[in-house]
Amino acid sequence: MLLKIIGSIMIMSGSSFIGFAMSSCCSKRPGQLKNLQNLMQMLENEIRYLSSIISDAFEKIYKSIDNPVNLFFKSTLEYLENREELNLAQAWERAIKDNIYKTSLNKEDEEILVSFGKMLGNSDIEGQIKNIRFTIYQLSLQEQKAEELKKRNETMYRTLGILGGATAVILLI
Amino acid sequence: MSAKDKNINIIQYLSRGVREILEKVKPDKLFDLEEIRLRANKPLIIQNYSEEWFVDSLGNLTKNIRDAFIVKREEILSTLEIMSKNSIYAFQEDIKNGFISLSGGHRVGISGKVITDSGKVVNIKEFSSLNIRISKEVRGCSFKILKYIFNENKQVLNTLIVSPPQCGKTTILRDLSRVLSDGAIDKGIKGMKVGLIDERSEIAACYKGIPQFDLGIRTDVLDACPKSEGMLLMVRSMSPQVIITDEIGNKGDKESIIAILNAGIKLIATAHGYNISELKSRQEVLSMINEKVFERYIVLSNTQGPGTMEEVIDGSNMKVLYKREYAGITRV
Repeated sequence: MLLKIIGSIMIMSGSSFIGFAMSSCCSKRPGQLKNLQNLMQMLENEIRYLSSIISDAFEKIYKSIDNPVNLFFKSTLEYLENREELNLAQAWERAIKDNIYKTSLNKEDEEILVSFGKMLGNSDIEGQIKNIRFTIYQLSLQEQKAEELKKRNETMYRTLGILGGATAVILLI
Repeated sequence: MSAKDKNINIIQYLSRGVREILEKVKPDKLFDLEEIRLRANKPLIIQNYSEEWFVDSLGNLTKNIRDAFIVKREEILSTLEIMSKNSIYAFQEDIKNGFISLSGGHRVGISGKVITDSGKVVNIKEFSSLNIRISKEVRGCSFKILKYIFNENKQVLNTLIVSPPQCGKTTILRDLSRVLSDGAIDKGIKGMKVGLIDERSEIAACYKGIPQFDLGIRTDVLDACPKSEGMLLMVRSMSPQVIITDEIGNKGDKESIIAILNAGIKLIATAHGYNISELKSRQEVLSMINEKVFERYIVLSNTQGPGTMEEVIDGSNMKVLYKREYAGITRV
């Protein structure tokens, strides 16, 4: 009997853990999208008011927060320094593709970021600001969508985890 | 840094295609390089003081246009991206004036489609040509004119250096600034406070506000400052003993020059021209000549290389103090 109780507790806790982990994954995405928007806003200020060159601006940005999304900025800089044949757009695209799996962002977000890089640095201030604003706007739409998804899925994954565990226990007993 | 290193240094700023070609050119051929010209869909041209060359795709210098390497439009944008460290927007103020300065004192002239707003240039877009001017520092190139710009009491005379383009007047002015400011004990020159007004950012070639050339220890530089205002500003703020500036002759220059001379400050300036009589055709300069503002005129040419001294004239009585000899015969 004791064995059965211990066993069912283990199954229950295991499955609820999986449920909570999955729900936290979809709850991180809106936060990261929000963070990205803030970083983009920082970039706009750097370009607009300080005329900082991209590498200085990126360095400030990635040092400003501790979040997986700052990896994009960090590794763009690394690629620019190490592989001189890459131009900025290529370095940025590579940084996105190499680091996206470390974040909770999805394919759509990736595309927005990659197309942002195409215009980066190679036009006048107005063009840069327009590009950044447009990207921030797109990211905010993504954030709203992610927020809705989060509401729906978060509770679903959690209950699914607990209930799944309970079903397994009942079946096994 | 030797001139050779400098040329190699400039090549790193070029787009990949052009860089790979110029890297194949024998370094001694690039030694006295003055300009690299990139024009969209036109041949790559490099120039030293006497000749221009096309470059073929194997890096040979040629005079035959059919062999010449053709520069693609993308190469121009890519070059600018590298020069601006991927941040063209950060150089917008410079681009508006038609050029950007690189570290090392090189300057890159830019042309393309100009965007104007109520008559003023606000930006250049769709870049179509680049003129990369390699700047040189020739230490000691002003020594031969030094003895003409001092009077017997070792005081600096107000001097106008007259020269056509590309005859080394900026280089000489730069060296003069260094010598006057550092002083030269062997020539009996005591170091003086020098105020340099560098309207076109050419003499000091400031990169992020720091002069890229040795202009002497007592030199203060006003970078990108309009001359007429700059001269007065210098007098007010830095109490110089000598003011150095280039390319005088615009309206308003004369008033400022007279103001600084009244303050007891000496002036060394340059003006565009092939000789004195050509200078006289310019109103602003003519009235200064007539009023004997300048005590010395030094005319340069590049007949024996940049910085050849053609003649020196005493401004007070227009007597010729020196005239270059033509094949051994002095014509005065």
